[in-house]
Order: sequence, then structure tokens, then C-alpha cells
Amino acid sequence: MNILELKNVVKYFGDYKATNNVSFSIKEGTVFGLLGPNGAGKSTIIRQITNIYMPDEGEITLFGEKVGPEHQNRMGYLPEERGLYKKVKVIDQLIYFAQLKGVTKSKAKEKAMQWLIKLNASDWADKKIEELSKGMQQKIQFISTILHDPEFLILDEPFSGFDPINVEILKSIVLDMKKLGKTIILSTHVMNQAEQLCDEIVLINKGEVILDGTIRDAKKRFGRDHLKLEFEGDDTWLDQIQNIEFINRTKQNAEIKLLNGEEQAQEILKTAIENVKIYKFNLVEPDLHEIFIRMVGGDKTYDELNAEHQEEQK
Amino acid sequence: MINKSKIWTIIQHEYLLKVKSKGFIIGTFLAPIGIVALIAFSASMMIMFKDTTERKLAIIDDTNMIGTMLAEVDTTKYYLSDETSKALKDKIIKQEIDGFVHIPSNIIEKGEVEVFSEGGGGIGFVSSLENNLSKIVRRERMKVMNADEEMIRLVESGVEVTTQKVTEEGTQHDNTQGMAYIGYILGFIIYFLVFLYGGLVSRAVVEEKANRIIEVIASSAKPFEIMLGKVVGIGMVGLSQIAVWIVLTSILVLSLGSIIGAFIEIDPNTLANGMSGQMAMQQAQDAKVAEIMSNVPQIDIGLIIGFIFFFITGYFIYASLFAAVGSAVDNEQDAGQLQMPLTIPIMIPIFMIQPIMENPDSTIASVASLFPFFTPILMIVRLASTQVPAWEIILAVLLQILTFVAALWVAGRIYRIGILMTGKKPKLTDLIKWIKM
Repeated sequence: MNILELKNVVKYFGDYKATNNVSFSIKEGTVFGLLGPNGAGKSTIIRQITNIYMPDEGEITLFGEKVGPEHQNRMGYLPEERGLYKKVKVIDQLIYFAQLKGVTKSKAKEKAMQWLIKLNASDWADKKIEELSKGMQQKIQFISTILHDPEFLILDEPFSGFDPINVEILKSIVLDMKKLGKTIILSTHVMNQAEQLCDEIVLINKGEVILDGTIRDAKKRFGRDHLKLEFEGDDTWLDQIQNIEFINRTKQNAEIKLLNGEEQAQEILKTAIENVKIYKFNLVEPDLHEIFIRMVGGDKTYDELNAEHQEEQK
Repeated sequence: MINKSKIWTIIQHEYLLKVKSKGFIIGTFLAPIGIVALIAFSASMMIMFKDTTERKLAIIDDTNMIGTMLAEVDTTKYYLSDETSKALKDKIIKQEIDGFVHIPSNIIEKGEVEVFSEGGGGIGFVSSLENNLSKIVRRERMKVMNADEEMIRLVESGVEVTTQKVTEEGTQHDNTQGMAYIGYILGFIIYFLVFLYGGLVSRAVVEEKANRIIEVIASSAKPFEIMLGKVVGIGMVGLSQIAVWIVLTSILVLSLGSIIGAFIEIDPNTLANGMSGQMAMQQAQDAKVAEIMSNVPQIDIGLIIGFIFFFITGYFIYASLFAAVGSAVDNEQDAGQLQMPLTIPIMIPIFMIQPIMENPDSTIASVASLFPFFTPILMIVRLASTQVPAWEIILAVLLQILTFVAALWVAGRIYRIGILMTGKKPKLTDLIKWIKM
């Protein structure tokens, strides 16, 4: 059963179509990846699902009904840009957000303490938010998103700002929620996280859906054109090979995109055997990261995109 | 449509957030102590100056009776004069006398006299004259009247003193009346509180937006609910503060008598007056306390209701618009400029209080006090200093309610768009565009 459905949703900001004819659906009890580059329009879509914005055209149905304020209590939303009241105590903050979602005060308090204990944070209950480290604040924000036990969760970049240990803890919580039958939208740029957690994905660029379906399907569409090599010896042999693109290259490793299809791999293997000692030769599907870059970057090469990315960073 | 439990949750949150803050506790409990200390200081100054200042007042008596009695009350202060009022006015300007009282022939019936002075005679001097005259006139009225009920009514009606200020230019109203000052103070308190709490609302909105809290809240409640909850919550903080101020100030003023009493006890001036012995001192002390108390004009319940009503409407009109402005900007620095269209209409009435106190019944005064953005401050000044016609009060109340609803609606429209707008600093024209969106 589909818990959420978007049908030809359009949202204008002035003349600009921030959401352009977007349609997708999410099955109950799955983790759904809402992926796309910065400024692709992910947040605008999320804001329409959470009923902060109203779509100008099209329809959004949640739990089988047209989405409205009455559904807000059944959703949990962790926005990308986090925010808590700096001068408010952790416990009061958690209770307030839960109360806004229709939980009674006593119930909210009880739940808040349970979660604080579960995340080893019960000592912070009476501390003000401003006294906590950034990572601690993130944890509190995460708890506030799930405290009212929503059936439907929207997590926008949930793992940013966490150390690897906490990322693992949060991932296990997300998977626990899934086991409990909750439906989760995960919006992220970190493709390996999406790959680990998501059942299905939708890739958004410039307000439009450019890829839709399971990760499996997405990969199939691109075929096995991704070659990973590990070797010992002079790496200049790689320079002779035509019609490839380097995704990664070091003295002993190379990740190559084949531009002439799978058959090309055999020729490369021959050349390799003649020149170096081979430890690993692995012909794989592109990972989600690669797919993301190819889809979003259009015809641009990885190097060009990387260069652009560096340029943006400056 | 509106979810009351969500608004209530937001109200409670905003209320507790502010009430628990150090600023509120300090402001609420220390301010009355400061105010009372100031009153106590000025009251004791008043007593000290009073002891040494004697005013010489001439009496023009049209009744050929009351004036004589008044002169007998205190011969050091009053003397009967047979000069014309024009001659006496000249004497005032030449500073030969401090002023003169004109007792009209119909004083028994009308109970009105006029005092002409060089101005700024002080509340104390007027009230002691009023006391003296009242006693005499009351006595005379009782003699004239026989019917008991009528007599009582007349006795109660007392004597009203209208003071006239004499200057080179002629005679004009002298605003030494206590009630006008009360009006001034009440008007100023409304101005101050609307500014203070309107500013708090604006800051709370900006904070929520700058800290990105709004995104979470907006996914839990409607923008109008959020705004209303915030405005009401902070407004209730204001009302709590006023309540604490009223209670604390009354307690402190009541205990003020004994504080001043103690102060007078060690005042060498009293001893130097030639009185001696415990009894004399006690008497002097009691008299002074009574005098201070009589100088504090009685505030009737209607005025208190008016004050609370106009504080509430004034606060809601401005606070909701402040919330709208706060929602449009990303930080407090940007808020200042956009707030101009709000701060100016709050400040204009402050400059109008003085002229309105002097001429509370003029057409300009009634028009200005009916202008909804000025009403909260100016109407309370008029209510205190004059008898405002009932239709004007009703019209003011209706206009306030209409404006209050309109302000909430306009603010809600702006707020709804503003809270989610980030990046470029919006102009006033953008805000107007959002209302229509």
C-alpha cells in the first residue's frame, strides 16, 4: 500500500517552477531516498508533504487522504537546518515539540526520558541547549523528531554533523523504525548512506524527477561499465588505453568508467596482464554516487564536475 | 479550523519562556521598588519645600462672606483684597503676590472658584486651598439646605478648583490637576509596554526564524496559530507584569506612610518649627501623611478597566504587526528599518499627550484619540483628564476591535510567507505583496 503519493505536483516561486510536475509514491514500511544536488528542490517537495507549503498544481495524498494540517501530528520531520531554543532546557524543549504534535505533557515527559536514556543522554535533561555541544544538540533534535512516535518520518540529511559512532547508532534507529512498520523519507547527498538504507529512490534535479525506482533498477539501467583495479607495477600502462574515463586513480588503484561497454573490459585485462601484476579486477555496476553524478551532471565528465565542485567550494 | 490546543501549547511555552527569564524577574520585582523609592523621595522633597515656602494669595470675594472666612483660616497665607482682577494680575507679573482667588457669588451652588497664579503652583497648594474652601462652603451649604438627602449630595459634591495660569500673553489653563498627570502616566505606561512587548514579540519571531526552529514548528501547526500563540503568550507576560506592579506598588505605597513618618521624625525642620513634645510631633507627622495621601488622586475603576482594555488592544494591534515585520527579516539588525512604519505611529501620540492634557475636550484631541493607532495612548489620557462623551468611548472601543482584527489578519498573511523567506532582505513593498498572495 502506498502511504504517500505525489501526482504531477507543481510549485511556483514567482515564475520559477521550484517543483516541476513531480510524481512518485512511497510504499508503507519502506525507506525512501529523496536524492538530488543542492538547490534541486528537495526541501520544497518536503515542505509540501509536511503541509508547510500548498502545491499550486497536482495532488499529494498521505495515508490515503489529501494532505492537510490534520496529518501533521502523524509525521515527524527533521529539517536539514536544525533549530532548538538556545535558552530552554533539553527536557522542556522535547516536551514542547511533542506537545505541538498532540502528545500530552506527562506522556511526552515519559517518552523523552526513555529516549534520552536510550541515547546515553539522560544527564543532559536539565541542561540548556546552549550548554550542549553541536553533536549533542543534533541528538536532541533527532529525538524531538521521533518522540511522538510518528508513522511517517522525513529525515533531511539526518547524519550530517555526527561522528561515525553516532551515525551508526542513528542508522540502527532508522532501521528499527522501519522494522516497526514506519515509513521513512531519507533526503541526503551522501550516496553510500542512501545505498545502505533505501529501498527505493527518486532523484530530483532542477525541480524534476530524473530517476525513479529501486536502486537495483537504477543500476541495471547503467549496466556493468565500472571497472575497479588493484595492481603492482608501473601505472603508465593505463595511459595507453582509449575510450575510458578515470573516476579514481592512484599508483596501485584505478577506478575506470568504460565508454564502449562491457566488452572493453577484456581488452583492458589483456593489457594489464602484459604490464603489471594484478591483485584485483572487478567489473561492477556504478554505485549510486556515480549514478548521481552522471544523471545530475548531464554529459559532463567526472573530472569536469569535480573541478566545478572545487570551484563552488571556493 | 484553528486548533485551540496547539495555540494553547504555544501560549504556555512563550509565557513560561519569558516569565522564567532573569530579565522578567528583575524587571517585574525591582521596577516597583524603584518607582516607589522615587515617589517616596519626591514626596519627602515636597514636604521639605512646603515647610519653607509660603504663598501669599489675594482674595476677591463676590459673596462678601466666604472670602472673609477663608482669610481667617490662615492669615499668613490669605488676605482680602478690594482691587480689580486686572490689577491683581499685574501684581502677579511683578511678583508682589503669588496669586489670587476669585470667589464668585454663586460658589455655594456651583462650587467653583478660579485661582490665578504665575503658574506651576504645585498640586499641594491647590489642594490645600481646595481643602480650606471646601470646609467653608460645605458648612455654608448645610446652613442653606434643610432637606437631608439633598444636603448630603451637596456636601459630597465638594469644590472644584480650576487654576488659571497668568502670563504676559494672558490667562490660560494651568495643568496642575492630578488626574491629568495620572492620564499622562497611564498613557506613557501603555506606550512603554506596547513598545517593550511589541519588541519582545518581534525578537521572539526573529529568533525562531534565525535559529531555524520555525521549520519544525511550521510542520506541526499553522502559521496563524503560531503567530497568535506567540502574541497572546507574550501579552499575558505583560499583563502578569502589570498585575505584579499594581499589587507590589500598592503594598509599598501603603507602607510608604510609615516610612515617611520615620523620615519626618528625625527631620530637624519639624523641631525647628517651634513645636515640642511627642504629641506635637505625632500630630505634625499624621497631618503630613494625610496630606500626601490626599494629594494622590483617586483612580476610579472605570479608568483601570479602560487602561487594561487599551493596553490589550494597543498591544495586539502593534504586537501582531511587529510579529509580521519580524517574520520578514533574517536578523534583528534588518528589523529596525522595516519597523519604522510601526514605531512612528507609536511615538507620535507621545508628543500629543501634553496638548491633549491641556485641552482634552478640543476637536483635535477627540479626533486624534479616535485614530485607532493613537487611541490606546491618547484615549486613556483623555479618560483620566476629562469627561469623554459616551459615544466617543463606544466608537473608540469599536474602532479598536476592528483594527485589532484587521491587524491580526494582515499580520497573519505576512507572517505566513515571511517565516519561510530567507536570503534577500525584503522591502515594505514586498510585505504588501505578501498580504495579497
